[in-house]
Amino acid sequence: MTSSVREKLLVYLLLSVVLIIFMTPIYLILVSSLKPAALMFSKPPAFIFTPTLDNYYDLFTMRPFHLQILNSLIVALGSTAFSLTVGTLAAYAISRIKSRWINDVAFWILSMRMFPPIAVVVPYYIIFQSLGLLDTPLALIIVYSTFNIPLTVWLMKGFFDEVPEALEEAAQVDGHGVFATFLYVTLPLTAPGLAVSAVFCFIFSWNEFLFALMLTGSKAQTVTVAVMSFWSSDAVQWGRIMAGSLVVLVPGVIFVLTCQRWLVKGLTMGSVKG
Amino acid sequence: MSHTAGRNQRIALIFLLPAVLILFVTTIYPMVYALWLSFRNYDLSKPFIPRIFVGLANYLEILTSQAFFHALLTTFKLMAMTLSVQLVLGVGIALLVTQKLPGMAVARTLLLIPMMISPVVVGLVWLFLYFPELGYLNYFIGLVGLGPVPWITSTRWALTAIAIADIWQWTPFIMMGTAAALQSLSPEPYEAARIDGNSRWDVFRYVTLPQLKPVLISLLFLRAIDAFKIYDIIYVLTKGGPGDATEVMSLYIYRQSFTFWRMGVGAAASFVSLIIITVLITFFFKSMQRSQVTQAR
Repeated sequence: MTSSVREKLLVYLLLSVVLIIFMTPIYLILVSSLKPAALMFSKPPAFIFTPTLDNYYDLFTMRPFHLQILNSLIVALGSTAFSLTVGTLAAYAISRIKSRWINDVAFWILSMRMFPPIAVVVPYYIIFQSLGLLDTPLALIIVYSTFNIPLTVWLMKGFFDEVPEALEEAAQVDGHGVFATFLYVTLPLTAPGLAVSAVFCFIFSWNEFLFALMLTGSKAQTVTVAVMSFWSSDAVQWGRIMAGSLVVLVPGVIFVLTCQRWLVKGLTMGSVKG
Repeated sequence: MSHTAGRNQRIALIFLLPAVLILFVTTIYPMVYALWLSFRNYDLSKPFIPRIFVGLANYLEILTSQAFFHALLTTFKLMAMTLSVQLVLGVGIALLVTQKLPGMAVARTLLLIPMMISPVVVGLVWLFLYFPELGYLNYFIGLVGLGPVPWITSTRWALTAIAIADIWQWTPFIMMGTAAALQSLSPEPYEAARIDGNSRWDVFRYVTLPQLKPVLISLLFLRAIDAFKIYDIIYVLTKGGPGDATEVMSLYIYRQSFTFWRMGVGAAASFVSLIIITVLITFFFKSMQRSQVTQAR
């Protein structure tokens, strides 16, 4: 569509403005996490300074941040493994059952992902309190699965739809059972889908804040709640906030840079073809 | 063969069962519990006081309270502000990054990053930018002769400040969806329109936009559902304040439940939210089926 040099220049100019605006906050997190406190708000912003790892040192020594990383990892990996197992099975069923009602079931599952967390946080609190599960990773694994299972079901359904059923029928004629066929024939063909679903489940769990804030105390605290807590203390420790924020945003950034072509599918629930 | 097919369908049902059961226990049960709570007087900070049945009193209270409708109005105001800007900016940026020029793929990838950042971190970095006296945003706009703006400390600007942070995080979502849709459009109508000598704006207005419409509607409903649930960014930036300037529905429920310890009132408000969200979700599903039909063509 672009023809003249002037139009090309205009496109690049506009895009530069957009990029500068959208990248500045991310740049600020990175740079501020390496700045000494004295330069944190210096005007004009210090572009050239001696970077320091003091903020990261504080982050891991003044508070057990590595324990909170561990908590987040346990919760995110636990919920991912659980959701992937349950969600993949359901997705396969939805893809293969030929009935009208199965569509309603699929939409019901998807709708479970969209309800406001704040509406159910009090019931969860009371239920987990009576089960003695408050402030445990297990509580968060269960809660996060309520939105990770629907996500997995919808992503994997798309992948299963593309596996030709003739392939499965052939395997069954050869004497393999339904489950063996699923496990050894169909599932390996959808390996990319499994990887993408796993990463999505992981990132959403890792980034979650509201439930983690309400359902954990000091023992099972996750990284997002920990980073926020640097703000609530007496003096705002911007250095530690920025260093902690950087740790929190690393998995998401890696995900975008490595598998961005799957983002469309995962975030629009298949309403837009990527 | 039909015998095996029937057996396979039955086995498929068994595959489906765990997910359905788990979702029933983990989502329907808490929702029913919220409904039950909404008819009671319950204070979580005093667990030994019985949960008295109060009938519709909690619903009557919120439906006659100004704070509830203020929260509802603020939610929709924020939704209108963020969605309109995200739509225009998102489509605009999508038109830029889908130009066949070198470097576009890199720009597109970089622009996707904000979406995958935890909303808490988004809130914190914008707090850093908005911070009274010290924040860089007033310094930056001061360079072009504007400001200083009391971003999060004045009732006049606080909601705008929240909207800006949300727009920063989610404009890439509209951009991404629109760019994907743009690249799946067939080139023929364009060539025809160009040959007919239409201006670029006319081509966009009468050829591109009608084709994008179903996708844009789906994307906007998804954003609307998320916008109705917004919590983290506001919790970090203003906690609903100053006063009640940014008290959207989630913050209202939070305040009723955990500041005033009135779980019943919070549950009643939650249930009204669930109904509104259900309406939005239904519209999204309808638009989704429609856009899938268009894209399949």
